[in-house]
Amino acid sequence: MAVNKRIPARNRRRRVGLAWVLGLVACLLAAPMAMAAKYDVVAPGGSHDGDDVEQPIEFPHNVHVKDNDINCMYCHTYARRSTVAGIPPTSKCMGCHKMVATDKPRIKALTEYWEKKESPPWKKVSDLPDFVHFTHEKHLKTLLFDREFPVEDVKEVCALCHGDVENMTVAKKVKPLNMGWCVNCHIENKELGAPGDCWKCHK
Amino acid sequence: MSLDNILNNWSDYRKAAEEGGFYDPEGNHPYEHRWTMSINLDLCNGCNACSTACYAENNLAFVGKERFEKGHAMSWMRIERYWDDQDKDYPEKGASFLPMMCQQCGAATCEPVCPVAATYHTPDGLNAQVYNRCIGSRYCSNNCPYRVRYFNFYSYYDDAWPEPMQQQLNPDITVRDKGVMEKCTFCVQRIRSAKDKAQMEDRPVRDGEVMPACAQSCPTSAIVFGDTLDENSAISKLWKKHQVKRNVTQQHKENPELRGYRIFEELNVDPSVMYLERVREEV
Repeated sequence: MAVNKRIPARNRRRRVGLAWVLGLVACLLAAPMAMAAKYDVVAPGGSHDGDDVEQPIEFPHNVHVKDNDINCMYCHTYARRSTVAGIPPTSKCMGCHKMVATDKPRIKALTEYWEKKESPPWKKVSDLPDFVHFTHEKHLKTLLFDREFPVEDVKEVCALCHGDVENMTVAKKVKPLNMGWCVNCHIENKELGAPGDCWKCHK
Repeated sequence: MSLDNILNNWSDYRKAAEEGGFYDPEGNHPYEHRWTMSINLDLCNGCNACSTACYAENNLAFVGKERFEKGHAMSWMRIERYWDDQDKDYPEKGASFLPMMCQQCGAATCEPVCPVAATYHTPDGLNAQVYNRCIGSRYCSNNCPYRVRYFNFYSYYDDAWPEPMQQQLNPDITVRDKGVMEKCTFCVQRIRSAKDKAQMEDRPVRDGEVMPACAQSCPTSAIVFGDTLDENSAISKLWKKHQVKRNVTQQHKENPELRGYRIFEELNVDPSVMYLERVREEV
């Protein structure tokens, strides 16, 4: 604004016009670049066909993530500041579902739990053995915040280890999450500061 | 840890044995931190608080009286008792105490004898023990001059923590099973969490941020812990004050009155713990 004040009105209009043209060109150039600028940390190969976990309520990840575009970290809010990503409290579900889709059977089941003041006994899908020290916060710091990757696209970062959750209903373990798989990624991403010391994870 | 790292550890150890330490005099060394400890024996009154705190912090199993008598006690931190003069009228009078735990040697004798590389040297200068790798050959324990490695002869967790005592177990450290060797880790879980926190805040680990359970519980503050790579840390100053150097087999002090010494340093194991000798009264 301070710069604009010193420019005569006629010139300013011309400048604004130029800015429009430049902006349009930039958009045209940036659009394919933005599409190409996918997340560049590659998850190690290997897949896993996990068991179908029977949850108390068949939670549809696809409706929340894909159809309604809700950020992973809106519900799994502890991921960026704790070792575990966490399952949201029922109050967080009810924050929306007091109003939204209250006629659906799954929401009715949820409301029953809420009125009984109980939380649905969700089951853990991606579990690591007790002798492993793993922190979500450090992984998110290195893979997301330090790289200034847009936070709204965090699902691409989550997908490195949790697979294509946005197309799942009930989450399923689709990556091996075993030591060899972790170590492969740490070797491939050494320049990101991935440690190779046994005692970083073994406790 | 790849095979390369294991072989590097072994060659470093050989170098240490033959050339007196793999600490490069020009300061090129592979360490991120160098955790060290100092124990002032003049302040130690043998109260066993450190040992108790260690039991609570590190999920050490209570083995029971019979197994204790067989020598199966798992005290990572033990108080050794010595008597100055046995011929006195009151023999219990001259007792002196020495807290003994893993000395986290720079050139540890336990490391090269492990057939599966379950024990190795970390970039923090600690002797790590990876329980998942350990097959229980017990070579490391037999090769340790300090006798500070403890073997799980039984699955102690069956009866070591009867209900509801299992709730006091520390989730940051494994409950070890039968057939696994274990030892003092300098409370690596506390080091780990301090380093995690420092990394999250984009800063180095501060002096005093890591405090092992023994140092925390010591009523006389006889135990000081810190990183000697940090020139300004309390522990660095203490080592300098007592003119105790690393990577030597014999200390050459300008002032022989200074009390600092390291146990068994003549074996060239480069222990990371400095003891300050007790001041004895002259009769």
